[in-house]
Amino acid sequence: MVDFIQNCIDGVMIGAAYGLLAIGFTIVFGVMRRLNLSFGPSIMLGAFFGTWAFLTLNAAPWMVVIITITGTVITGIYVERLCFWAIRRDATIASMVSSFAVWMQLEEVAILMLPGRTYPFPEMFVSGGLNFGPFFFRAEHLTTLLIAVLMVVGIRLLLYRTAFGLALRAVSESPDAAKYMGVNPSRIIFWAFILVSLIGGVAGYLLLATDQQVTPYFGLWVTFKGLIAMMLGGMGSISGAVIGGLVLGIIETQTQWYLGNAFKDMSAYFVMFLVLVLRPGGLLGQGIVERHDLAFRRV
Amino acid sequence: MLIVEDVFTSYGMIKALNGVNLSALEGEITCLLGPNGAGKTTLMFTIAGILRAQAGAIKFDGQSIERLSAAKVVEAGIALVPENRLVFPTMSVEENLVAGAFIRVAKDRAGVDDDIERMYTRFPVLKERSEQMAGTLSGGEQQMLALARALMSRPRILLMDEPSVGLAPLIVEEIFQIIRDVNADGMTIMLVEQNANMALSVADKFYLLEHGRVTFEGAPGELEQDDVIRRAYLGTE
Amino acid sequence: MSDYAVSIVSNMGMIAFIALSAYVLLVVGNISFGQQAYFGIGAYISGVVTAMWGWPLWLAIVLGCAVAGSAALVIGTLTLRLSGIYFAIATLSFAEMIRLGLLSVHVQVEIDGELVGPDGAEGFGDIRWIFENDVTPFEFMTIIYVLLIGVLMVLVWVERSRLGAVIRMVGGDPLLAQAQGIDVVFYRLLATVFAGIIAGLGGCLYAHFTTYIEPNVFNVMLGVHSLAYGLIGGLGTAFGPLIGVGLDIGFLEGIRVFQGYRMIVFGGLVAVLLIFMPRGILDEERVHRIKRWLERS
Repeated sequence: MVDFIQNCIDGVMIGAAYGLLAIGFTIVFGVMRRLNLSFGPSIMLGAFFGTWAFLTLNAAPWMVVIITITGTVITGIYVERLCFWAIRRDATIASMVSSFAVWMQLEEVAILMLPGRTYPFPEMFVSGGLNFGPFFFRAEHLTTLLIAVLMVVGIRLLLYRTAFGLALRAVSESPDAAKYMGVNPSRIIFWAFILVSLIGGVAGYLLLATDQQVTPYFGLWVTFKGLIAMMLGGMGSISGAVIGGLVLGIIETQTQWYLGNAFKDMSAYFVMFLVLVLRPGGLLGQGIVERHDLAFRRV
Repeated sequence: MLIVEDVFTSYGMIKALNGVNLSALEGEITCLLGPNGAGKTTLMFTIAGILRAQAGAIKFDGQSIERLSAAKVVEAGIALVPENRLVFPTMSVEENLVAGAFIRVAKDRAGVDDDIERMYTRFPVLKERSEQMAGTLSGGEQQMLALARALMSRPRILLMDEPSVGLAPLIVEEIFQIIRDVNADGMTIMLVEQNANMALSVADKFYLLEHGRVTFEGAPGELEQDDVIRRAYLGTE
Repeated sequence: MSDYAVSIVSNMGMIAFIALSAYVLLVVGNISFGQQAYFGIGAYISGVVTAMWGWPLWLAIVLGCAVAGSAALVIGTLTLRLSGIYFAIATLSFAEMIRLGLLSVHVQVEIDGELVGPDGAEGFGDIRWIFENDVTPFEFMTIIYVLLIGVLMVLVWVERSRLGAVIRMVGGDPLLAQAQGIDVVFYRLLATVFAGIIAGLGGCLYAHFTTYIEPNVFNVMLGVHSLAYGLIGGLGTAFGPLIGVGLDIGFLEGIRVFQGYRMIVFGGLVAVLLIFMPRGILDEERVHRIKRWLERS
């Protein structure tokens, strides 16, 4: 029982970071209806910049944080301009494949920057842990959770209490209607990407600083986690993304503990598949993506 | 000919149709008016078998069709011209017409070809553009093509969802004249329209749909036109 | 023809199968990130049939395709209600489950004193059919292309027939297709199974060409690549994905001079291409115009 709860605790902590990633995917998908396959790789590249600074310039942790986030944002802008802004709005698959092509580019840039498989990533500015009864809380985990909570609160405030947030929600709802309100969807999308890159950079930093190593495959890994978490919770809602992240985190830690590493990833995909088949709207969705959703959605 | 009894259709928690009762008589043009969100398109989709009603019955010439799939509904003789999605844009005009006769094309290719000729006679513009990609046609031409295509399945009733949407007033007049002509040839038509004026000018009977329920039915002269039009556009609170 | 050229051309041929598989699904209106699963199933099943049971290649191919097709039918049915990104993620999940599952499959038999069979992450080696039957790489390449041309002929024939028009209608606008009386469900499943079989066929050939397969080959990269081929080459015709494969593999090999920068160059070119031709080089419009031009002359 203690193990189970400890796993839940660990799961929630990691899940918080997954939730942030899911929020990133959710916002971008919500506002553009297109999937950005380069989101993970952008974070990976930002992290590589951070690592490079750490290794060659001996940068301090806070410096690494800033470089990671900045790197992610710059890469995000590149992706947005090339793959999304430049392509017709209704060509969803083209944008996706374009972002995939850019993913390949980003991976190669990372490998050119730092050849080799794995690099150490600086640890977080805190370490150690807390004991609370029979349970152990890693300092990195607590920091992740704290920062994630702060960010989610911040994002909610941004979305619901600011003009920008209103415009973003309007564009997600209907870009045409938003135009009649005087909103420029392209500009909103651009800033949404910046926002999402910031979130991603932070989430990436938290995950890597906990793990203390980084590889070029981090991009792929992040993409999977973010997508699954987003889908689990139901697309189109911040709360859903967060819940999806937490659920994913818990599923992972529990299966890893009881069934071993081999089943950890598989169980995530299995749950994902089950959710999609049984409740495509996600756990928080309305279960209404029904047989005749043909009536309201075109590929 | 077509009777809709107490039909309820919802999307998850959104109840779009809350007990709709209406009927369309053979040979007549029946119009559905109502504000946005009243459920008009939902009703069309439900009759056409694209959406399934949670409760209620739909009878077509005595046959129950509420459980039929869309394909079977077309075979039963009901053709739908959906709103806004008029044509297959990357197919030619002629291919679109053949598509409309999909259910017959395997068995009766000659009949289909005859029908295409008939459509070309009735809609000469389509003949001019027969090889052109349908997506390049003007709005009015696409609406005409959509109508012709629906007729290709030799339906006994034609359902049209907002034929005037997005079209210039002169073109709308043309389209509605065609609707009158098609009806004069004996086709029963059920029409959903936002343009209450146009609709009432062709209707034999009309229904007002609000919040998923029929709130008024009658012939165009019956209720003072202005009140109906006001309610049709704005809805009551 | 040099060994190197044979190898490249054979690769193109085998990848073409999975590209065509993703293309068929795109035409019927679904984005699949998971065709690599059927490629892998075909590979593993056919490997088992020849290497472990000692049966002939043609039987291995038939069984590989049958299993791949059946799996496609099951998955297709389960995902019927899904479309767009939901469908994509579902297929991705399925493919990853297959890959991860294969990592745990250890089934080996002893043949001539050696252990042969899938060994999880260590892979499945010794698929020695081509050695045991004295088939040269060039001959195997011919086999690949004969089968590929067969598949192409079927696809071209379908495209010109009513079935092809129906499939494009279902993909272009399922609701409008339904309104014409088309049973969208049936045609979607039909296309899904067919796509699964094509991918499975490619996998069977792949296993026997490389003689060694491992689960990590059938990963999401392969899947997304197969989508990309269709998008680059064009979705208007079955030759589109082939052009995409040719460009990708051929071009990539051709610009070896950019060693270390190839993906940067290639990725950039693809991104730029998609800006101007979002449905590929031979998209539906272009194909339509080419057909009209051919008819007139």
